[in-house]
Amino acid sequence: MFDVLRGLISKVSADYVDIRYEKMSETKIVLNNREIFQLGTNTGDGFVVRILKNGGFSSVAFTRIEDAEKALKICLENAELISKNSKKKVRLAEVEVVKDTFIPNLKEDPRAVSIDEKLELLMHYNEIPLKFENITTNMQYTEVVREKYFVSSEGTEIREDLITTGIRGMLISRDGSLVQNVRVGIGGSDGFYRLRNREEEFEKKTKIVLDLLKAEPVIGGVYNVILNPDMTGVFTHEAFGHFSEADLIEDNPSMRERMKIGAKLGNDILTIIDDPTIPNQLGFYKYDDEGVRARRTYLLKDGVLVGRLHSRRTAAEFGEPVTGHCVAEDYRYPPIVRMGNIFIEPKDKSFEELLELLGDGLYILDAKGGQTSGENFTFGAQYAFEVKNGKIGKLLRDINISGNLYKTLMDIVAIGKDFELSEVGGCGKGQLNIRSCHGGPHILVKNVVIGGVK
Amino acid sequence: MLEKLIEIGKRYTDEVEIYQINSFSSGVSFENGILKDIDSSIQSGISLRIIKDGKLGFSYTKNLLDPEGLVKNAVDSLKGDIRVEFSFPERRELKVLNTYDPEIENLTNTKMVEEGQRISEILSQATNTQINVGVVKSVSEIRIINSKGVDYSTKNSSYMCYAAAMYPGSYSSISRIIVDKKFKEFSKEDFEYITFLYNNSKKEVKAKSGRMKVMFLPTTMYVLIWRLIYGTNGKNVYERTTPLIDKIGTQIFDSSITIYNDPFNDSLPGARAFDDEGVESRVLPIVENGVLKNFYYDLYYGSKMGIGSTGNGYKVSDWGGEIIRVRPTPALEHLYMKPGDKDFHEMIRLIDKGIIIAQALGAHSGNIPNGDFSIGLSPGLYVENGEIVGHVKDAMVAGNIYEVMKKVVAIENKNYVGNMGVFPSTIFEDVSVAIRE
Repeated sequence: MFDVLRGLISKVSADYVDIRYEKMSETKIVLNNREIFQLGTNTGDGFVVRILKNGGFSSVAFTRIEDAEKALKICLENAELISKNSKKKVRLAEVEVVKDTFIPNLKEDPRAVSIDEKLELLMHYNEIPLKFENITTNMQYTEVVREKYFVSSEGTEIREDLITTGIRGMLISRDGSLVQNVRVGIGGSDGFYRLRNREEEFEKKTKIVLDLLKAEPVIGGVYNVILNPDMTGVFTHEAFGHFSEADLIEDNPSMRERMKIGAKLGNDILTIIDDPTIPNQLGFYKYDDEGVRARRTYLLKDGVLVGRLHSRRTAAEFGEPVTGHCVAEDYRYPPIVRMGNIFIEPKDKSFEELLELLGDGLYILDAKGGQTSGENFTFGAQYAFEVKNGKIGKLLRDINISGNLYKTLMDIVAIGKDFELSEVGGCGKGQLNIRSCHGGPHILVKNVVIGGVK
Repeated sequence: MLEKLIEIGKRYTDEVEIYQINSFSSGVSFENGILKDIDSSIQSGISLRIIKDGKLGFSYTKNLLDPEGLVKNAVDSLKGDIRVEFSFPERRELKVLNTYDPEIENLTNTKMVEEGQRISEILSQATNTQINVGVVKSVSEIRIINSKGVDYSTKNSSYMCYAAAMYPGSYSSISRIIVDKKFKEFSKEDFEYITFLYNNSKKEVKAKSGRMKVMFLPTTMYVLIWRLIYGTNGKNVYERTTPLIDKIGTQIFDSSITIYNDPFNDSLPGARAFDDEGVESRVLPIVENGVLKNFYYDLYYGSKMGIGSTGNGYKVSDWGGEIIRVRPTPALEHLYMKPGDKDFHEMIRLIDKGIIIAQALGAHSGNIPNGDFSIGLSPGLYVENGEIVGHVKDAMVAGNIYEVMKKVVAIENKNYVGNMGVFPSTIFEDVSVAIRE
């Protein structure tokens, strides 16, 4: 494959060219209640080429190899057009030339497990909530195997495989016209073993979705809250992480001004890291889609901004070191700057100590979708408990949080000593990243706005 | 080539259907007046569905290098034992629609760059803030063939341009989207809309939580409509996860609200005479004068409910997933809300105290099946005595569409392209707003 790719880009006269070819095989089993909706394994493939010429940087994605010549021609024209029309000249940060093949070590390769067995396992977990007549399920098994080949005009040649497996689903409960739902998700990037013996997860979520029918809706207002690790992760991702992505603020002077290295954005106890290199977690990769080796990146240290996530383009623009965080969803897209595995570093508090510090407020668990607009963010939670005098009380539903980047990080007043990372991901910044991993400990946050109908 | 694929398929199965899509798109983006990216994409793909002994098989590929392999994949998937109670449709005489304007071919990237620059300059002078612009053109061709004689094709051209005025220190913005089948200039009215809303709301203001009037713009109406789309989807009716079961013929919204699906409107891009299953399109009222009229179905769920398809079987994928990888499901791809009788500026004057939701955060979280929403405002424009006085930060608006949409104050006399459909601005009464003070 490398020979073919080298051949394709060798004819281009430019300052820099790279090409990525991906073959992606996807196994999917979809269950709606007890009905199988989809089952099978299919393969798609495609190319993405990027050209830098005279400071103009452009990309074209294409499917058929016979379109390669046309695609390269369009790409070169686009790069030249940018160069002619943009005051800014794009440069790419220097990186070492790499020749490597990286095939991850799996604990039980999902490809060696028959589709029948996968179906059986999915049905087994699906039966746990379906024991109850008023629960409906949408459950799916997904396995995505990406075989990626990357070649650049600088001589880098990398093959890396990414193998993601997961079972995720939605449990929906009904009582008259009241409908409640929770999500369930297990999986990862280090093998099929993660999907075995996980009944407990499905039992826990089944209980919650039934209990939610009797729960009260939260009353809208401002609360002090404890977030569980999953919520901490989504909070870190939404409230802060996106603005550590250099491409988002590159051409937004007012955001850039606020996100200067050295800016005090958070409380002294707060340290945030993005590290795709930690083994056995969902977000693991060795090289990004520009052929840059991923590295552990401190973003916030003791409340101070010390780094951010980069592509080669943004690293040159900011004059900061590359981090290996430029990643594409699949063969349809050029890579963009992304979080790999973002988390808050654990500190010293036990859960009981956090409860005691909280006194009155909410204990909020398990995220359910979030979004950010830079300064402001919102995200939902699947459920919460009222906390009074440090004691956990009744279950509450309809939890949605909103906050402000520049205030909320200061409002993190205590951090737990436990630590957990997410097993399923799905960040939708322009493209979907199913390996977007996040987590952390339990944390205590003050003055959080909770939306409510009451 | 595709005919050959049908032949191979027929050797193994009773019924065969091929869906083929080829598309080309090119987009330019400007941030803060700087030309940031030009990205193009040339994509193709094929999906195959087969029916054998009442079971459905499915497969797809990007490159048809191995037709036998594609059929074999679909045959292998029959072991999923997916029972269906329908056949692929037969050929019909379809409505002729004008979906392709050859002028799109003359629209060069250079011209799109010039338009982006023009918009950036005009808006930046008018608002004195950062302006982001995106301009995209695309052409796609879809062909559907089945073993029952269907062989339909459609070629679509589309042009989309959006411009956003950004509030400093954030990605909150006032934006407008325009679409057409060929190049269309960003108009004086479009410029004035963004300029008026941004300039009048520049100032950050404090406001108190409470219940008040709330106005959704065409670009944020989707927050509410999303819940209705879920609630009327044939899949959710079949699975009984919607609160609208048994509600056909009853009043669910204010009588001023009419929402319908019209695939034939070919003044906008993407009109369709047939859906992604080769079923003839039709105009489908969803809500008429506040009364729930119809649920929408594809072949699969329509046959399960004994109603048949309403021509709403589309390959749709959340979060921009690749459509050839999914089976068709019920979808409203051509949704419109009927305009009312108030001019936009008149509408604002009707608000004694309230919020205009210019951008919503977190529309996808919250309890969608139940019709609940709880969104962050990014930004919320604060209105007092009929005038915009500024914008509020750290605010949330929450409610349930089956309550909120019963209390309409006014509907704008024009509709615009937004997410998920074409909507007028709408004001609702007595909506809960939480603001961090």
